[in-house]
Amino acid sequence: MADLRIDLAGIKSPNPFWLASAPPTNSGYQVQRAFEAGWGGAVWKTLGEPILNVSSRFAAVSFNGQRVAGFNNIELITDRPLEINLNEILETKKRFPNHAIIASLMVEPQQEKWHEIVKKVEAVGVDGLELNFGCPHGMAERGMGSASGQVPELVEKQTYWVKEVARTPVIVKLTPNITDITMTAEAAVRGGADAVSMINTINSLAGVDLDTWNTVPHVGGKGAHGGYCGPAVKPIALNMVAECARNPLVNVPISGIGGISNWQDAAEFMLMGATGVQVCTAAMHHGFSIVEDMIDGLNNYLDDKGIASVMDLVGQSVQRYSNWGDLDLNYNIVAQINNDVCINCNKCHIACEDTSHQCIDLYTESGRPMLKVREQDCVGCNLCAIVCPVDGAISMIEKKSTIPPMTWNERQSLISNFTR
Amino acid sequence: MSDHLLSLDEMKQVDGYLASGFKIHSVHENLSGMFVEFKRQEEDVCLQILTAEARKYLAAKLLEQTQ
Ligand SMILES: Cc1cc2nc3c(=O)[nH]c(=O)nc-3n(C[C@H](O)[C@H](O)[C@H](O)COP(=O)(O)O)c2cc1C
Ligand code: SF4
Ligand code: SF4
Repeated sequence: MADLRIDLAGIKSPNPFWLASAPPTNSGYQVQRAFEAGWGGAVWKTLGEPILNVSSRFAAVSFNGQRVAGFNNIELITDRPLEINLNEILETKKRFPNHAIIASLMVEPQQEKWHEIVKKVEAVGVDGLELNFGCPHGMAERGMGSASGQVPELVEKQTYWVKEVARTPVIVKLTPNITDITMTAEAAVRGGADAVSMINTINSLAGVDLDTWNTVPHVGGKGAHGGYCGPAVKPIALNMVAECARNPLVNVPISGIGGISNWQDAAEFMLMGATGVQVCTAAMHHGFSIVEDMIDGLNNYLDDKGIASVMDLVGQSVQRYSNWGDLDLNYNIVAQINNDVCINCNKCHIACEDTSHQCIDLYTESGRPMLKVREQDCVGCNLCAIVCPVDGAISMIEKKSTIPPMTWNERQSLISNFTR
Repeated sequence: MSDHLLSLDEMKQVDGYLASGFKIHSVHENLSGMFVEFKRQEEDVCLQILTAEARKYLAAKLLEQTQ
């Protein structure tokens, strides 16, 4: 049994699975049930300025039978009074002293407002703070959430104000609605952040109803942009985590969020530099009990790999994530088709013929239809393997290069000596 | 001619020049491909390379020449 405990900037939890600040962490009742189910920590639904919510709030993007490929919401932060939340945090912390409770906070960008709320939540014994600079809708119109999270100076200044009074670790939650997330991550670090978390939701409109021409979701016939999350955003979130992890100026732990639905997703985020993960959509889709499979799966994975502690996974793949210009131009792979398992759907042939390099030939052998890749013309793009519906029918095989490795950057510097 | 055959042909030409004592003197890349100037004493020839494979190959030969 591997050790699943994590320590994220001094915040300890029995496992790396935290619920993200969102509807699952709206109340003490829910967070306590989540802890009973096995979640290691919870980032409480964002506390802050008074707001009101609308109805409806959510929409899902279904894709090819997957009910929730992506999830869109126009919900704001908590609409419950601060004192009620604080009482429930106090009571939950008493019942679960070893679980992590992090207070997510969002107030207007004023020093005294940050000071006031930090003192109040720390007084009830939270283990850490998460500054919500990420909510893309509703709050941004009032200068909060992603409106302040998109401006590095505001991220730095507000983090600094919080750090002036905070006694617990401060996590800055970043918005993905920005071209380069490392800019705001660096600003958070300059402001004194103990950790960063990412991502909050991505600006989105889930759809338009073709019968009524209303937006999806709509509020009495009108819509507004929402925030996108769920499995569809995982690659975007994973890249943002990785970009921060490999940036030497973002030298604080990362809490990974975005589309994490199972232990495999969690392990990928940790390998790419996250010390722990936060989950929202998957818990909303399947309930708190999904954490059982996450814990079991991660534990078995670590045991199989002979890894004693989950903390040993953190960042192991980061050095493998580099710049395009540092990739070897002479590394070659080619597709190989196993005609024994192929069902002759021809999807690979059509994909390669229409949209890649026209190198999958059709032929017949003893009356049987067959396919073969002309290796010399294959560029190893993977497309045929991606579209093939049969596991194992197409393998991508490494083909030894006859010339030594050379990256684009090496090549350009070599050629630059010969441009006379 | 397929891209592959064209690249084989271009690499053969590169090998041909190098085998007969030419050295790569200059390399320029632009939207029309790679232009390689080979020199052997006073002799001077220019080869236009079109294929990506042969452009990679040329760089490998250039590396060999500098080593
Ligand atoms: C309905 C809903 C409400 C949310 N409310 C908050 C919030 O109050 N504060 C916050 O920091 N993030 C909020 N989020 C964002 C999540 O915490 C999380 O960053 C995002 O959903 C990505 O994770 P996921 O793909 O696992 O859902 C909300 C997300 C959803 C779906
Ligand atoms: S890897 Fe790309 S180029 Fe090669 S056969 Fe498949 S689709 Fe064609
Ligand atoms: S896509 Fe896969 S199953 Fe279909 S023809 Fe190609 S190799 Fe066979």
